[in-house]
Amino acid sequence: MIGFLIGEAVRDLARAGRVAVAAVALIALSLGIVGAFWLLSTNLGAAVAQWREGVRVIAYLRDDPGPAAGRLVDRVRRLEGVGDARYVSKAEALNRLKGGLGARASVAETLPENPLPASIEVTPTSGVATPETMRGLVERLAAMPEVEDVHGGTAWIERASHWQRLLQIVGVGIGLLLGLAAVVTITTATTLALHARREEIEIMRLVGASEAVIRLPLLLQGVAQGLLGAGVAVLVLFGVHRVLQPLMEPLAALTFGLPHIAFLSGAAVAGLLAAGALLGGLGGLVAKGRA
Amino acid sequence: MIALHRVSKTFGAGPVKVTALSDVTFRMSKGEFAVVRGRSGAGKTTLLRLLYRDEVPTDGEVEVGAHDVTSLARSEIPELRRSIGVVFQDAKLLPGRTVYENVAFVLRVLGMPRREITQRAFSALKAVGLSTRAQAYPWQLSQGEAQRASLARAIAKQPAILLADEPTGNLDEDMAAEVFQVIADIWRGGTTVLLATHQLGVARKLGRRTLTLDAGRLVKDEG
Repeated sequence: MIGFLIGEAVRDLARAGRVAVAAVALIALSLGIVGAFWLLSTNLGAAVAQWREGVRVIAYLRDDPGPAAGRLVDRVRRLEGVGDARYVSKAEALNRLKGGLGARASVAETLPENPLPASIEVTPTSGVATPETMRGLVERLAAMPEVEDVHGGTAWIERASHWQRLLQIVGVGIGLLLGLAAVVTITTATTLALHARREEIEIMRLVGASEAVIRLPLLLQGVAQGLLGAGVAVLVLFGVHRVLQPLMEPLAALTFGLPHIAFLSGAAVAGLLAAGALLGGLGGLVAKGRA
Repeated sequence: MIALHRVSKTFGAGPVKVTALSDVTFRMSKGEFAVVRGRSGAGKTTLLRLLYRDEVPTDGEVEVGAHDVTSLARSEIPELRRSIGVVFQDAKLLPGRTVYENVAFVLRVLGMPRREITQRAFSALKAVGLSTRAQAYPWQLSQGEAQRASLARAIAKQPAILLADEPTGNLDEDMAAEVFQVIADIWRGGTTVLLATHQLGVARKLGRRTLTLDAGRLVKDEG
């Protein structure tokens, strides 16, 4: 019986012809767009997570504390929200500058004296790098009498995070609109198959076929179109990712510090396929009601 | 086997009501052969449609086998119809399937195993004399062959009852005789047959019970 139901669904798909192809293409387009936004969002999310891990707050000191630096670092470590603290002397700061200048490091040699202040590099406690907690940490550091200025925060990371969420919303929004169009097209394709089958359905009812046997092929036809569309979307995304990955990775590493542009996870691919089956099933269900 | 008690059927509502059947009562035993005759519009088709629950009576009771057809739930209709084979004036063969596939389709729909489908389909085709035309498509058949294929499809599931609604309406005399012969053979095999026709000669030739309808009323029950 299962073989019969699947056979009828395949026969119906062939009958729907171009409309079925259009329905599969629309599903592929809608899920392809959702998948593309998902891919971008996932990678931006990975970059944001990496940036959060690397957040540092620099507390610039009024004077070089000299031998008292150790005690000052201990006091900073005891502050709320501080994961670790490290003292950077004036000399170390100058060496870092020279390192950063590279071949032009000799410019720093021409300075009459070291203009760079000593500082304490503060790593926030893991997982608390939100704008609110960072604001509190900056205020506590700024309140210390030895500290002249405090730099650092997560405002730009939060902006990136907002962009990530926006990408997700736009992707889901466009996907939903196209998904709706796909459901309508699948309903049309299935209804066409239904009209082509009306004589068969009449005979089936006449001989005592159950309603499940009559209607299930319509539902299966919708699910098949949805799955096919989702499969096409995943394959196209995979192909585009394979082609663009080597070209985009150096740029992503340079701009976002992201060394690897990942493809969608297995769960995400399964989600897209399930969404395709669901959209197709919905189209088949609407048509099924007309049987 | 079949029992109608004071059955009436009215179509439409208000001033445009049409009475198709009026106060019809009769019984048929298991294995009986009866011919329903009457002019066009006498109510023959409506009577048959009430039996396989394509219509519900306005008044009265209809029983088929163990089923009280009048009060049958929608979900119980398939079970009733599995016990009834129906043929029409138009053979209603599926054009994209061969004669064998048309017969096998019914059995597949009913969930029979493949081996049984093959066996039953060929047995039904043999019974109507179409074994050699199994791979022909409907458009390759004569009208008589098409009607016999339709009969094969109706009996392949081995129903207890065969309802035939003007099965020879589109056929010439020779072809009609062939079809009636097949129907008579099916009846001899133990199937209860109710045949609706407007051809009086047929009813006489078969020499069986004849129910005569006139304007929806059962005016004669002979034989």
